[in-house]
Amino acid sequence: MGRFGFVGKRLLQVIPMLFGIVLVVFMVLQVTPGDPARQIAGLRASEADLDEVRESLGLNDSVLEQYGRYVGNVLQGDLGFSYKSRKPVASIIGDRIGVTVWLMGVGLLLVVLISVPLGVISALRKDRPIDHIIRGLGLLGMSMPAFWTGVILLLLVANTTGWFPSGGFGETFWEKAHHIFLPALTLAIASSPFIIRGLRAEMISVLESDYISTGRSIGVAGSRLVRRFVLRNAAGPGITLVAIEAGFLLFGAVVIETTFALPGLGQGLVIAARGRDLPSVQGYTLLFALAVVTIYLLSDIITAILDPRVEVGK
Amino acid sequence: MTSPPSPAYEGVPPTIEPLEVPIGERGLWRRMPKKVWVGVGIVATYILVALLAPVIAPYDPLLINPANSLASPTADHLLGTDQLGRDIFSRVLYAARVDLPIGFLGAFLPAIAGTLLGALAGFYGRWVDTVIMRTADVVQAFPAYILVIVLVFALGQGARSIIIAFTVLAWVVYARIIRGEVLRVRDLDYVHAARVAGLRNLRILRVHVFPNVINQTIVYLPSDIVFATLALASFSFLGLGIPPPTAEWGAMIADGQPFITTNWWFATVPGLAIVGLGLGLSLIGEGFEEALRG
Repeated sequence: MGRFGFVGKRLLQVIPMLFGIVLVVFMVLQVTPGDPARQIAGLRASEADLDEVRESLGLNDSVLEQYGRYVGNVLQGDLGFSYKSRKPVASIIGDRIGVTVWLMGVGLLLVVLISVPLGVISALRKDRPIDHIIRGLGLLGMSMPAFWTGVILLLLVANTTGWFPSGGFGETFWEKAHHIFLPALTLAIASSPFIIRGLRAEMISVLESDYISTGRSIGVAGSRLVRRFVLRNAAGPGITLVAIEAGFLLFGAVVIETTFALPGLGQGLVIAARGRDLPSVQGYTLLFALAVVTIYLLSDIITAILDPRVEVGK
Repeated sequence: MTSPPSPAYEGVPPTIEPLEVPIGERGLWRRMPKKVWVGVGIVATYILVALLAPVIAPYDPLLINPANSLASPTADHLLGTDQLGRDIFSRVLYAARVDLPIGFLGAFLPAIAGTLLGALAGFYGRWVDTVIMRTADVVQAFPAYILVIVLVFALGQGARSIIIAFTVLAWVVYARIIRGEVLRVRDLDYVHAARVAGLRNLRILRVHVFPNVINQTIVYLPSDIVFATLALASFSFLGLGIPPPTAEWGAMIADGQPFITTNWWFATVPGLAIVGLGLGLSLIGEGFEEALRG
């Protein structure tokens, strides 16, 4: 089977997985304590009013019927209405998604800018002082809760220098970039240590392989060797690592958006969960799951295209 | 060589390298790198603080004193007081009694469950294997952190929900690792010999297989305790974890954030407590890995 067959097959695998995710999210939230009708109608609603709300929401139907209807609505882009603001969940998500895309985009860029050089230096200078320093910093970074790092950056950078705003988001491109920098840096500090560690291990195993020794012995220059062979061979696993990190990055976004008062999806999910706003929680969860599944899919496809050895179909 | 990162909560199976040294080997403890002992020292200090908090803490962590709120550090209040006039130093100490047990349980329970299920799957094979490993596939298909949020939302706030959510999600990685190890060990000569000698399956599993595969679990445990503790603190920070007024490091950071310009120590110190614990555990984990992977 060719590479495109692989991509097609991988795409087909995603569909049942998405249905499964929707089903589990739906089931889990079904058992959530609390009466949605009561939440909508208010505390002083009569029993008759409650029945009316239940009927209009279809809460009297069986769980399977409700699930079917939910899936049908989702496919048409209808995620229901927020219990709190009464606005359509889809439009709330639409308002918030830009912030999160910015955060993830700039965050990922910083992750690469930080991780690749440090990982490469650490591997090339294995067991030298600089390697120990980088690994030590990595351990420190892994132990710091992202929200705390954010608070410390606010204290040390935003408050003392006044160069960066302490929260919120802007209107113009530059305002946005300005507001997103510290949150994105926080995200990068939280997730780079894992990438550095993985990249280092991957590069060391490539460096110790036979064809690198051969290259060295026939006199290929060191820097050329690293660029042409080592980095190239470590790139595939590197991309997989970043994809594995995606779930973690999204959770990081939830925490960091709350720390920096960024009106993104993560902050929305937290507000919805605190307010026990079920349709919103469902909507956000679905979107996050979709994002993670898409990132895994993309990374598999990129890896397959980069590396002809990925045997496809097994 | 160190293995690639593999926090269990991300639900992705780590690359498994066979360990070269069995855990019971003589002299293993003497060969442990120094960092393990530094880490053990740090973690032991935290455990002591947790146990002795009622003795060392100068104040009741829940005692409110509105007349003396947001005080700066003094001899009376070493780290000042919070927005309700509670002693921050006492709260930081008492929080160890919340974060430590939940962090440890949140890592140990999935490790135990995963190890047992993985061993059963590998040893018995056939339908036992199918049921356990297909369940693992399903759990793993999910973006784990998102599912933790959903589970905690559904089960309600509190320690219990968080531990359940971790256990449901994190057992998978251990099950995979241990299953692989058991498959490897199952066909070794001494296990065959035990079977020929007429030992019962369960006894073979317990006496001959288990001690030889348990290392893998031990290598992954310390970093999972870090993840469980960080996750607990994150949930509490978001207001979805341990409800107030209980002293918990993440929740204290949330309390302190609005006062970061005036009372910077308020949010900083609980964070340092988390970082210190994380560093201690990471040192143990790295050291174990170096010693056991030879």
